Amino acid sequence: MHFKFIRFSVLIFCLPSFVIAQELAQEFSAPLITGNEQVRLSDYRGKLVFLDFWASWCPPCLVSLPAYDKMYRELDSEDFEIIAINVDEDIMDGIAFLEDHPVSYPVLADPDGEVGIPYGVRSLPVSYLIDKEGRIVQRYRSYKSGDEILLKQLVEELLDR
Amino acid sequence: MITRLLTFSLLLLSLLPLTQTEAATCSCAGAPLLSSIDSSSTEPGDFFFNYTTEYHEMSDLVEGTKDIRDESGRERSSISQIVSGTYGLADRWSVSGLLSYIEHSRSVGTSFLGEQNTSGLSDAVVLLRYTPSYITPFSRHEVSLGVGVRLPVGKDDAGGLIVQSEDMQPSVGAQGEILWSSYSYAFNQASTLQLNLSANYTFNNEENERNYSFSDEFNFAVGISQSIGTRFGYSAGLRYRTTDADERNGFEIPNSGGEWLDFVPAIQYGVTDDLTLSLSGRVPIARDLEGALQFTTSYSYAFSMTYAL
Repeated sequence: MHFKFIRFSVLIFCLPSFVIAQELAQEFSAPLITGNEQVRLSDYRGKLVFLDFWASWCPPCLVSLPAYDKMYRELDSEDFEIIAINVDEDIMDGIAFLEDHPVSYPVLADPDGEVGIPYGVRSLPVSYLIDKEGRIVQRYRSYKSGDEILLKQLVEELLDR
Repeated sequence: MITRLLTFSLLLLSLLPLTQTEAATCSCAGAPLLSSIDSSSTEPGDFFFNYTTEYHEMSDLVEGTKDIRDESGRERSSISQIVSGTYGLADRWSVSGLLSYIEHSRSVGTSFLGEQNTSGLSDAVVLLRYTPSYITPFSRHEVSLGVGVRLPVGKDDAGGLIVQSEDMQPSVGAQGEILWSSYSYAFNQASTLQLNLSANYTFNNEENERNYSFSDEFNFAVGISQSIGTRFGYSAGLRYRTTDADERNGFEIPNSGGEWLDFVPAIQYGVTDDLTLSLSGRVPIARDLEGALQFTTSYSYAFSMTYAL
């Protein structure tokens, strides 16, 4: 019986080794939420990119979006871009929110998950900081007030390198 | 102690209207293990810690489907303390481990001489889960499958020189294997309203040291859960449970086994993003029990807190 238990435990503790992997951000192309113009991640190669998935029904997103916009305007750097990806099934819900809370960076529409599914979006908000070489530096799940301050510090640090 | 008393009083008050109805469930040994393992999905590296305390009253006397008035003044209850952890091993894989401590109490009549108490470490469960499909903003379905083992790490010889009956032992005293599954459907993209189904089967094919074996057990649950705002949630469901008769030395034990149908309501409150408190109850709706007479569950209620590390 104890032997069975030991075998089971070994199996369980070996599995985490599959988890850790250096990830390259997946290339994508999606339309702007307010038009048909396609935006590609590769358009921003050589820049630090913050990719932010959100929806109008996600309460923390409604706080994080204006907070990230404020941070983006404060940084005002040519080497840093934010791309927001709205995943509302009805994109009109996302547009309605943006009418009340406009942001100064591009917002793309992804109602079917063509971008979100490859990025493994399971809950919202979720964001990715992607370095100039296209590697995912950091993944952020959920949002707490003040997260944007820590993000700003990291962005400044990476831009200074 | 005072905190525990307050907690139980609050639980009791909140469930009072429900406990007026007729009750049902079994008086088997050990703690309610599988119902304490959360079925929600876990991302790689996530760790959830859960503590549950459950009070279980088992004083109803039943013959088949009929309630019998018990003139003996017999009372039977248990209090379980259950700690469990769930860790996201990899994408789609998670493992849960659970350990429990249980206090059984039985009294007949009003004399203290008729009171018996046992307590000790109960069983442990390890469950490995695979989730091929998650609820996400792009998918309304979640399917999860699991295999596990119940380990008799606890005490199964309570009572000293005169060993207590099997239903008063903290541990079942024998290993069991578990098959587990769950399915959830989100009615909207935000998944604030969900249909939840779960089923599990426990194989109890080993005898304990007294040549007693609990029968296999099947549980099926269906329910609806809804979150209200960012902090509150509730769920309501039905749980069906069936077991065959227990056996000793290969012979069936009379007055054991049957079918139970319970109503299981619960409310949740998210104190912070990481800490959730939950209050749940179990109220019998129907039962059909084997044998001439069986004592079975009157009601139970539980308080639990889950912390995401």
